[in-house]
Amino acid sequence: MSSVVEGAKRLVGRGSASVPDRLEALSRAAELGRGRLDDALVDSAESVVHRAAGRLALSGNHTIVALAGATGSGKSSTFNALAGVEVATVGVRRPTTSVTSGIAWGSEGATEVLDWLGVGRRHQVSRDELGPADRSLDGLVLLDLPDHDSTEVAHHVEVDRLVQLVDLLVWVLDPQKYADAALHERYLRPLATHKDVMILVLNHIDEVAPSQRKAMVADLRRRLEEDGLDGVPVLATSARHGDGIAELRALVSKRVAAKRAAAARLSADLTAVARRMQEQNGRTDPGELRRADRSELVDAFADAAGVPTVVRAVQRSVARRGAQHTGWVVTSWLTKLKPDPLRRLHLDLGPSGKELTGLGRTSVPEPTRVQRARVDTAVRSAAGRVGDQLTPVWSDSVRRASVSRLADLNDALDKAVVGTDLGVSRTPVWWRLARFLQVLLAATMLVGALWLGVIAVLGYLQVPLFFETPEQYGLPLPTLLLLVGVVGGIALAVVGKFVNGLVARGKARTAERRLRSAIGGVTDELVIAPIERELEAYAEVRRALAKAA
Amino acid sequence: MTTPPGTDSARLVDALEGLGRALTRVRLPLELPGVETHRAARQEMLGQLDDYVLPRLRQIEAPLLAVVGGSTGAGKSTLVNSVVGRRVTEPGVLRPTTRSPVLAFNPSDKAWFDDTRILPELARSSTASSDPHALQLVPVDTVPAGLAILDAPDIDSVEVRNRTLATQLLAAADLWLFVTSAARYADQVPWEFLKAAAERSAAVAIVLDRIPEGARDEVATHLQEMLSERGLGRSPLFAVEEGAVDEQGLLPAGDVAQIRGWLEGLAADAHARAAVVRQTLDGAVQSVARRSGEVAGGHAAQVEMVERLRADAHRSYDEALRDVAEASADGSLLRGEVLARWQEFVGTGELFRNLETRVGWVRDRVGGWFRGKPQQAERVTVAVESGLESLLVEHAEAAAERTWRSWTSVEAGKQLLEAGSGRDLGRASREFRGQAERAVRDWQQSVLDMVREEGADKRKTARFLAFGFNTLSVALMVVVFASTAGVTGAEVGIAGGSAVLGQKLLEAVFGDQAVRRLAEQAKAELEQRVGKLFAGESMRYADVLDGLGLDPADTQGLRSAAATVDRLGLA
Repeated sequence: MSSVVEGAKRLVGRGSASVPDRLEALSRAAELGRGRLDDALVDSAESVVHRAAGRLALSGNHTIVALAGATGSGKSSTFNALAGVEVATVGVRRPTTSVTSGIAWGSEGATEVLDWLGVGRRHQVSRDELGPADRSLDGLVLLDLPDHDSTEVAHHVEVDRLVQLVDLLVWVLDPQKYADAALHERYLRPLATHKDVMILVLNHIDEVAPSQRKAMVADLRRRLEEDGLDGVPVLATSARHGDGIAELRALVSKRVAAKRAAAARLSADLTAVARRMQEQNGRTDPGELRRADRSELVDAFADAAGVPTVVRAVQRSVARRGAQHTGWVVTSWLTKLKPDPLRRLHLDLGPSGKELTGLGRTSVPEPTRVQRARVDTAVRSAAGRVGDQLTPVWSDSVRRASVSRLADLNDALDKAVVGTDLGVSRTPVWWRLARFLQVLLAATMLVGALWLGVIAVLGYLQVPLFFETPEQYGLPLPTLLLLVGVVGGIALAVVGKFVNGLVARGKARTAERRLRSAIGGVTDELVIAPIERELEAYAEVRRALAKAA
Repeated sequence: MTTPPGTDSARLVDALEGLGRALTRVRLPLELPGVETHRAARQEMLGQLDDYVLPRLRQIEAPLLAVVGGSTGAGKSTLVNSVVGRRVTEPGVLRPTTRSPVLAFNPSDKAWFDDTRILPELARSSTASSDPHALQLVPVDTVPAGLAILDAPDIDSVEVRNRTLATQLLAAADLWLFVTSAARYADQVPWEFLKAAAERSAAVAIVLDRIPEGARDEVATHLQEMLSERGLGRSPLFAVEEGAVDEQGLLPAGDVAQIRGWLEGLAADAHARAAVVRQTLDGAVQSVARRSGEVAGGHAAQVEMVERLRADAHRSYDEALRDVAEASADGSLLRGEVLARWQEFVGTGELFRNLETRVGWVRDRVGGWFRGKPQQAERVTVAVESGLESLLVEHAEAAAERTWRSWTSVEAGKQLLEAGSGRDLGRASREFRGQAERAVRDWQQSVLDMVREEGADKRKTARFLAFGFNTLSVALMVVVFASTAGVTGAEVGIAGGSAVLGQKLLEAVFGDQAVRRLAEQAKAELEQRVGKLFAGESMRYADVLDGLGLDPADTQGLRSAAATVDRLGLA
């Protein structure tokens, strides 16, 4: 759209600063609206942008005025009367004019303009030829269009095409035809947004009795008001007798001299299409995603990711490893026989292990249909919260965006779970200490037991003890050692189990917190970010349209 | 006139009345491509049957009705006044003129027009008014007997009422007196009317009015060429120059002498008149038969579209039903919350995972757990309820959304969804969550009843007493939820294990045959309840479609009525 901007800059020089900006805004709105708003609407916005680009690229000194009207209403006669020369053929056979002819006033050649309009039959009134009356028409390009209501369909097509391009439309009406549906319904009503760039001429006024002329003009004005065209200038003329032609010429030359018609026309085009887009786009604010909605989403996602399973496994795994360290040596080897629950889920490797395996997959069960249903419901309600107040096009596109990335759900959740440091790889110092104590106590117990064994064997063999068994606290030392070892080991194991239980719960909570924050990231990436992108697009289209309208 | 209503024409009247009834029944509510044309055609034909074809067939000898129609500003009223030779209607400068249509006839023909034989919808009046639903009757002796002239409104102004009334009046004419002017004769709209007249071979005479001085030959020749090109070359063409009117607003008698002479000739010559009537009438009958066929085609398309939309809704909900049935049987409900509660219920998960093979021993252990923890069964029930409920809600939402999408992909569906009751159809109905909750609870209750009934004769056995109703019904639910998984082995791992446990438990009480039966019964019960729930949801779509009042039989009714008319009309 760089040509738009270039052309627009030239217009800025002419003092209509807002048109180029608005054009750019419309172009942006069309770009963002594509795939969201109706294609036909976006197409028409783009064709407005395209047409405006074409018009702005042309000389700014020309004003294109078209004479349009029904067959037999005197377009060609008016054309000739304005031109002051017989350029267009006038006749009684209907329809008379079948090809658009153009006439350009002034020194500056209008070839470029007429080429753009696609008008082949041309006439140039050069500066030297300009009479004093014509001087004010310098820069005018006047077109005589074919009719819009005859049986020749090709004529309608040509009229429809040129009506979109010209800067100022002069509708030439006829007393017989001024209330025709073909004119009001097909042209005037849809062009209600363009009343600033329209003039209506009631031609053949000589055929109406003088006493009734005023009433007829008033009736026409009333009809125009019904079409939404109140305030459009209405002139009564007779091209054949020259009545009212001077006024028409003055009105046209005023518009030509102001050189504002092109900008006014483009502005009207912009307003019309931008308003239509606004209507479909809507102006309401989107709903806001509340904290509760997000946490509902995270809950559902965490559930689907198997977070409860992992957290339970963490708790059991920590408890199990704690038991291995703090448990009574005599029985703690038994726990080794049970598999580590985290290992079963392939989550036991710790950060370095994950690096080695490059974020391998977990064996956390795939989400079940119930969990998946919960995810879908949460996503749907989040999208609904945001989009329900918007117009159907946008609430639909928010909804589509919200589920657009759910295909990656399992993968993303798995990665989030694998990538989370569950905080279980480190072995606490006190575990080692407890292990050391347990071994020490076990050794004490063993020494006591062996000693007692030796005493027992020697006693059995009737071999006198070669030294006296020392006593402590009223008990023989080996017995004391055995008792201390057993009681101390069991007591330490019991205390350890209790503390481990606390630690395991703490670790489980930490793991849950970390997992949920990782899952929160997934939620943001897969659901909230797409929704927000959509909302940004909506806000931008809204802003752009507000600017363009 | 001389033709008495013979058997043939009586049968044709019957057939046409039948066609009228068939047309009345046919409804075209959906916005399908071309429906506007069919609606207009239906309306027009109904009007034409009542206004013209039937009255004319019943009383073939009634006066010939010439309707003067044409563009606004072509000078219809001035022409009618001039031809009649009296000021019977008010011409106006302002476009379009709005007043009641005027019917001028010879006082001797008064009896024909006083009653509502033709144009029954228009109220008769004797004074001029601007009510387009009134018909002003003007008996004048300057109109020859056997001929009536009707001044119709314009066909091309912004007044929609004028256009529809003109169309209706022209459809009721034995003879069209089509007025156009030198400025208008190439306009598209009048030519569309003339084309329609040519298609149904109505008798048409064209008046080229308001010709500027000296342009008569050129314009008239051109118009004659255009008429020939469009198959109206044999229609009489009268040219009238733009001339000064006298103080009564009449054109000089000489200017309209030709037209008046032609009309008087027609009125006097019974054969010529009958020929004109026959031509227009036959053409009208044939065109009604042909266009009825087209309308029937339009109706068939409507019926087809309704069926398509209905099938879309059905498919969506069938899919939802299938998904729920699958998800509630393949063990997926037995993971997550339900599994956790179930495992809490029977002991620790670890215990059972390792002990599946020693079920006999487990069974005895389990009993202890069950007895000790009655509230645990409650918690499994609640978990089942919330799991099933969220499954149902999600699938109902998804089905509504699928239906919405497939409906909005066609214009007619979009139209239905945008109308009043259709707006909520993109989501599950508001009451659905509550209904789903109730349905799940009812199902659980019925499972409990089933167990109770089955256990009636075993009530006293030690095992039954040991477990209690709640426990057994929870076990039965678990078995149902894994009924396919247990077999395929895909989900056997955790869920299957739990189910096996439940199964063994039940078998120990009821015996394996009874357990299989109970499980099937409970599953069927669940499916039936879900089916009913979804049927209620899909009913919302069916209601919208039924509200259109389309009866597929009407297509055939209209086709056969049209065929009958066609056969008799040609005879």
